[in-house]
Amino acid sequence: MNYIENIFVCLMAPLLIAVICMRGRGRRMMLFLLSGMAACLLSSYISTFIASAWGASLQTASLEISPLVEEIMKLFPVQFYLLIFEPGKEETTDACLMTAIGFATFENVCFLMRNGADHLLYLTIRGFGTGAMHVVCAYIIVIGILRLWDRDWLRSAGTVALLAIAITYHGIYNILVSQTGVAAYIGYLIPLFTVGLSFVFRKKLLPKSTE
Amino acid sequence: MIEIIENGIQMVTTVVCTVIAFHRGLKSHKRAWFMLALASGVYFLGDVYWQLFLVIYGETPHISDIPYLSWYAGYLFLMLMMFEIRGERPSKKRRRILWIIPLFTVGMCIFYLQWGDWVSNIAAAILMSMLIGHAAGGLLAPRENPQKKWIYISILLFCAAEYAAWTISCFWMGDTILNPYFWFDTLLSLSFLLFPWALRKAVDE
Repeated sequence: MNYIENIFVCLMAPLLIAVICMRGRGRRMMLFLLSGMAACLLSSYISTFIASAWGASLQTASLEISPLVEEIMKLFPVQFYLLIFEPGKEETTDACLMTAIGFATFENVCFLMRNGADHLLYLTIRGFGTGAMHVVCAYIIVIGILRLWDRDWLRSAGTVALLAIAITYHGIYNILVSQTGVAAYIGYLIPLFTVGLSFVFRKKLLPKSTE
Repeated sequence: MIEIIENGIQMVTTVVCTVIAFHRGLKSHKRAWFMLALASGVYFLGDVYWQLFLVIYGETPHISDIPYLSWYAGYLFLMLMMFEIRGERPSKKRRRILWIIPLFTVGMCIFYLQWGDWVSNIAAAILMSMLIGHAAGGLLAPRENPQKKWIYISILLFCAAEYAAWTISCFWMGDTILNPYFWFDTLLSLSFLLFPWALRKAVDE
C-alpha cells in the first residue's frame, strides 16, 4: 500500500509555510510547485478510478490512461492562472514549468516509496528523465500558448492540438520506461535529448522575457 | 509484419516532412511552415506510439485512443496551416456545392459507427469536414492565388487516402500486401512528402 496522500501532506507542509512567508514571484513559484504536486496526486486518483471502471490492468493504465489524465491535470492550474490573472509571457512560462517540476518531483517521490532508493545510477537517470519529460511537455504547451497564435479561438484550437502532442510524447515515454534494459534507458534519454535540442532552438522558439 | 513495415514507411515520410517544414519555418519565419511541422510531427508521434505497442506487446492500443488523438491533432494543425495560407476571408460567400462535404462525412461517420466508438468517429467526422471544406473552398475560390492550388489538392488527396483506408479497414482482408488498406495508407504516407513542395509553392513563391 502506497499512502500517497500522506506523502503529499508531508511534502506540502514546508512548502505551504514557504508560501506564507514568501512574497511576490517566489511565492507564486512555490504555489505552482504545490499545484503541480496536487495535480499529480489527483491524476493518480483519476487514473486509478478510470482503470478500475474500464477493467484495465495497472500496466495498461500506466501506458494508455495516465498520459492522458496527467497532461490534462497539469494544464488546469496554468489555465486557471491564465484565465483569471491574465499574466505576461514570462509569468506564464514560469507557471507552466513550476507546475511540471512539482508534478515530476511528487511522481519521483512516489516512485522511490514504491521501488526503494538503492540504485543511485538508475535513480539519477530516472530522476533527470522524468523531470525532463514533464518539462518538455510543459514547454510544448507554453510555446503554443505564447508564440504560435494571436487570436483566441486559434490559440484554443492550437492548445488542444499541442496537448495531444504532449500526451502522445508522454505515452511514448511511459511505454519505453515500462520496459527493462536498453529500451528503458532510451526512454529516459529521449526527454534529455529533447531538452538539449530545445536549447539549440530556444532563442527562436521562446518569446523574449521583456515582452 | 506488413503493418509494421507500412507504419515504418509512414514514420519515415512524416519525419522527413517535419524536418523540412521546421527548417523552412526557421528560415522564413512563416507560421504556415511551423503548422506543417507540427502536423507531420504529431502524426509521427502517433505512429511511434502505435509502432511501439505493436512491436513490444504484439497488439494495438485498445483502452484509450492516444494515437488517434495525435492523428486528429494532425488534422487540426493542417487546418490551422490552411488558415495561415488563406488568411481572413468573408464568411458570406459560401458555395452551395460545399454542403456535399458534411453530407459525405456524416454519412461515412454513421457507416463507421458500426465498428468504431462514437466519440472517435464524431471527432474524425467534424475535423475531416472542416479540413476538406477549407481545402475544397480554397480550390474553388475565384480570386485565389493559383500557386496555392497544389496545397489544397495535396490535402484533398490526403483526406481521400484516409477515407479510402478507413473504409477498407471495415472489411479487413488480413495482414497481406494484397489488402488495399495498406496501399491507401502508403498513399497517405507519401502525401506527407508532397506537402512541403506544395506549401513552398503556396507561401514562398
